[in-house]
Amino acid sequence: MSKKQRKTVAVCAVLALSLGIMPVANAMHIMEGYLPAGFCVVWGVLCVPFLVAGFFSIRNKLSENRRALTILAMSGAFIFVISSLKIPSVTGSCSHMTGTGLGAILFSPSAVSILGIIVLIFQAILLAHGGLTTLGANTFSMAIAGPFLAFAVYQICQKLKVNRKVSIFLAAALGDIFTYCVTSVQLAMAYPSESGGVAASIVKFLGVFAPTQLPLAVIEGLLTVIIVIGLETYAMPELKSIGFIKEQEVR
Amino acid sequence: MITIDMLCYYSKLRYMNAMEKFTYAMLTLLFCVVSRSLVLAILVLIVNGILTVNKGGIPFSRYRHYLTIPLAFLILSTLAVIVNISRTPLDAFAFQIGSYYLTGSYASLYKGIQMILTALASVSCLYFLSFNTPMTDILSVLKKLHCPDLLVELMLLIYRYIFLLLDISFSISVSQDCRLGNRDFRTSMKSFGAMASVLLIRAMAKSGALYDAMEARCYDGRLLVLDEQYSPKSREIFWIAFFEILLLILTIWSKLR
Repeated sequence: MSKKQRKTVAVCAVLALSLGIMPVANAMHIMEGYLPAGFCVVWGVLCVPFLVAGFFSIRNKLSENRRALTILAMSGAFIFVISSLKIPSVTGSCSHMTGTGLGAILFSPSAVSILGIIVLIFQAILLAHGGLTTLGANTFSMAIAGPFLAFAVYQICQKLKVNRKVSIFLAAALGDIFTYCVTSVQLAMAYPSESGGVAASIVKFLGVFAPTQLPLAVIEGLLTVIIVIGLETYAMPELKSIGFIKEQEVR
Repeated sequence: MITIDMLCYYSKLRYMNAMEKFTYAMLTLLFCVVSRSLVLAILVLIVNGILTVNKGGIPFSRYRHYLTIPLAFLILSTLAVIVNISRTPLDAFAFQIGSYYLTGSYASLYKGIQMILTALASVSCLYFLSFNTPMTDILSVLKKLHCPDLLVELMLLIYRYIFLLLDISFSISVSQDCRLGNRDFRTSMKSFGAMASVLLIRAMAKSGALYDAMEARCYDGRLLVLDEQYSPKSREIFWIAFFEILLLILTIWSKLR
């Protein structure tokens, strides 16, 4: 082999290895103990206003209708189960949905922030995805940033009279991509690069996680559309009871 | 269904006071993250390993398997910290690509090793808690720490219903497999979507039934459940205090150095 050929083989081997060691792409939870203490506290504090807002919105909803408690609990369990199931993937790696985009569209982003933090605690303790010290950072990226963006995208698309399926796809996929960007920024701020600082580090983290996260976002978008089609076909009363479909829209 | 949850009910440390276990795990975790020292990380990793495997009786093979779960994340993100792309080579290693170098320094290599060990040690603290404490005990600790009632109730209900929904999803996916529902990418996408939407419909039906059942048993806005109390033992408290003070000294020492 010439030198060039050998180099090509080496590059292919590195690529294959780096794709091969990603059997578990856990939807980008930052693992326990990975962030320095200062960052854990800062991200935790940033979450507080959203969580307080979510808490009050849930409490108000409960004082209107106490039946909402069990519906909320079921929705939380649903988000957990959806995010713990293996989803079909193109590369053969084992990956999971975040489920928060779907949650934000079906319920409301402020309720999802509270359900999201509960789901993240359970994921840390029962499934060892994520962690307790990184709970703040993970909550911010997965239970606040992602759902709020997904909800905003969905609302904008509805206003612009975009096809419902397209807008659901866009909301879920963009929410997922946004979660992944926020996580990369969080990691980069904690570990700035020696040559180029935070900006270079952001690019590196984005690059390292892109091969798993971009296809995952597309798959999550497609699945969310399929799920909502299924629900619209079979579960109109349920969709109305959680407020996803308004009465006059059905007719 | 969820292996960790199943194992923690078999743990020999299950009947230890939950508050003790919670305090131990949280303080140790705190010292790990604050100090980020190699000595402390290795000490914590060994102590937690002995506690979980020898004292708790969790099979070593399971424990090792669970420690490797976060490895993919760990390798990828540590790679992003160690490897730099720049025009000038750094001291540890450098591969030339055109006019750029794929390079790293000894300082960042050391930092990478430090990150991996700290992360593994912190994960072992989390595992100590989750392999030895059932979720209901953790919830009773949260209640004692004055976590809002609404949140604790919601967590209790969600915890109960996770298993119900997992059970439904498991039987649905078995029957989908039987009918060749996952034979290629297209069908498996369709099957997953169908399963998820049926899951939500079932969940909503169950939640209605649950509320009716609660109402029939005089539910008035508060869920009251009895929890078993295991009194703390002074010997355990002594050893926990001893170990935490040792970690505190190590932390101060690593910060002063």
